Amino acid sequence: MSVKKFITDVKNYLGLDDFKKSGKKKSIKRLLEKLKARKEILDKTPRKNLNKKELKALKEEQAIITLQIKKGEKILDELNAESHKDSKKLKGEKNGKK
Amino acid sequence: MLRRIFLPSILIVLAYGFWISPDFKEISAGVAIFLFGMISLEEGFKAFSGGTLERILQKSTNKLYKSIGFGFVTTAIMQSSSLVSVLTISFIGAGLIGLTQGIGIILGANIGTTTGAWLMAGFGLKVKISAYAMPMLVFGVILIFQKAKSLKGIGYILTGLGFLFLGIHYMKEGFEAFKNTIDLASFAVDGFKGLMIFIGIGVLATVVMQSSHATIVLILAALAVGQITYENALALTIGANIGTTITAIIGSLSSNIDGKRLAAAHFIFNVVTATIAVLLMDQMIVSVDAISDFLGIANDNHTLKLAVFDSLFKIIGVLMFIPFVDKLVKFLQTKLKPSAVSEAKSFDTVKYLNDSVLETSMTAMAAIKKETKHLYDNAFEIITHGLNIKRSNILSDMPLEEVVKDSYSQSAIDIDDFYHHKIKGIYGEIIDFSTKAQSQMAHEEIKELYKIKLANKDIVEAVKDTKHLQKNLVKYSKSTNTHIKSEYNSMRKDLAELLRTINLIAMSDQEDEILLLLSKAKVHTERYDIIANGKLDNLIRNRLISNEMATSLMNDSGYAYNISANLIAMAEIIYVTDNSEMIIEEEEVKEILNQKDEQ
Repeated sequence: MSVKKFITDVKNYLGLDDFKKSGKKKSIKRLLEKLKARKEILDKTPRKNLNKKELKALKEEQAIITLQIKKGEKILDELNAESHKDSKKLKGEKNGKK
Repeated sequence: MLRRIFLPSILIVLAYGFWISPDFKEISAGVAIFLFGMISLEEGFKAFSGGTLERILQKSTNKLYKSIGFGFVTTAIMQSSSLVSVLTISFIGAGLIGLTQGIGIILGANIGTTTGAWLMAGFGLKVKISAYAMPMLVFGVILIFQKAKSLKGIGYILTGLGFLFLGIHYMKEGFEAFKNTIDLASFAVDGFKGLMIFIGIGVLATVVMQSSHATIVLILAALAVGQITYENALALTIGANIGTTITAIIGSLSSNIDGKRLAAAHFIFNVVTATIAVLLMDQMIVSVDAISDFLGIANDNHTLKLAVFDSLFKIIGVLMFIPFVDKLVKFLQTKLKPSAVSEAKSFDTVKYLNDSVLETSMTAMAAIKKETKHLYDNAFEIITHGLNIKRSNILSDMPLEEVVKDSYSQSAIDIDDFYHHKIKGIYGEIIDFSTKAQSQMAHEEIKELYKIKLANKDIVEAVKDTKHLQKNLVKYSKSTNTHIKSEYNSMRKDLAELLRTINLIAMSDQEDEILLLLSKAKVHTERYDIIANGKLDNLIRNRLISNEMATSLMNDSGYAYNISANLIAMAEIIYVTDNSEMIIEEEEVKEILNQKDEQ
């Protein structure tokens, strides 16, 4: 077994690459939570008391946050799919060896 | 002159010593191997300083007691207070920690060094330590040849420890053999005179070896075979503690003013502690005896008693200094000041870039980032004044309509002059320093550095565009044509809004808020683009402005757009630490603008 393969195997076994990905996932999840909380506040804001300019700013903020939430969820899905793929690959390799 | 004589003199003295005494040669070789071990150990720990050490340092120094604890633990593990001091100076230089935290680390490091004396006295002198050295050296060297940075680091640490043990072995053997030819103990001097002489020797030995650790190990080796008396060994230990401050002083020469203040604090602490130890020597000896009795150390076990003394006098010193740390910081801030620079149009220079931060790639990166923020602060001043707006108004809650009305000056400012004094020099230094820092960075770090360099370029471009914009801005914001006047004032207002937003981003530590503000700024920049939004066409079509005004407005709105785009790009690099992919992109900005139009 080459040194490179040995290192890759050890990394896979210890889940070192996953560690990096899970850190990223956690960070995105935390950010999404914050953005959703912010959106909820904006959605609940009574519009009657707002003037035209304030209403415009509110709608703009809502549009941006909605877009960011969408983006965040997409990134999270991609990260989850990658992890799923990696674990499947690892399982396949182990079964193959058996 | 002295420097030129110093090195050859030492070499000649050593050569003569080796010629007349093979035992002296063995002891000196032991010291040399020990010092080489320390260099190797430091090198090894530096391999791990590309993130982990720094992250721990930043998190564990927010309180004084934590800083002291950090200093103690890291020095105990790395067995080098010099490395900890140099790293601390580097962190202060990069502006990552303050002077109070730095002093805390140094105080802790002082106690941390005592673990070396305990290890040597309790283990190194009793066990055949060289037996451990050989396998460590073999494994260490094999690992040094590996490509992986972490394996290399472990290799250097093992080799370092191996050499430390081997050095101790040679010192011990040398002193034992030396005993048969010359009895150094016969040169012992009693009383106060002896105390002062041996303190002096301790200082000198540590200055030459650049390591109090090595001096104390040497003292213990000599003491173990009875080549020096216990009292003289105590004096040598005090001297070593003063001599060690020299490393920090040398390290601080290339640092900024806070680094110099830290070295001064280290010197004051060690000299005051040493003075107290000298004044209370008799009481200290009695206390050491009592503690040794309590710990079950035999009365004639002078090496362990020396370790007790070393710990006692350093712990007393730290406890004594803790209540005065804030006062010491204030004292140093008033006594050691940066070289005076006159206000206003003086040549501004870099604040964070100095050789001390080159110690690790992380400190270098942090310093460059901080310097970029400094460059932006200067650019902020020039851009606001170029827009004829007061800085204080932007930083306040004043409505933007009023900010625009409250002009900074009646005439245009000389932006070229400002650029020359506050931007050009710093920008040049950042680029030059980045090239230097890049040589020790990993591929990923070089990529990040490249982005920071781009952010600097963005700042400079924004200042240059402000210069072009200013000419017509001053002219038309006072024009009798209300349409052109209104357009230029709304241009000023939009840019003032962006500058205020960037200031809010800089002050915020909430990631979601930063991302939202940046995204908003991007949307506003596109919305305010009068060429894209058709406003300019409308003014021309309805003949509300002259042809000359129209071309000026078209060019200047281009400059305003570029200033906004450059400043946003800069803020994205400098103020967004994680998840930068969450900032909305050009296509998404258009999507939002279209949504609005539909509404």
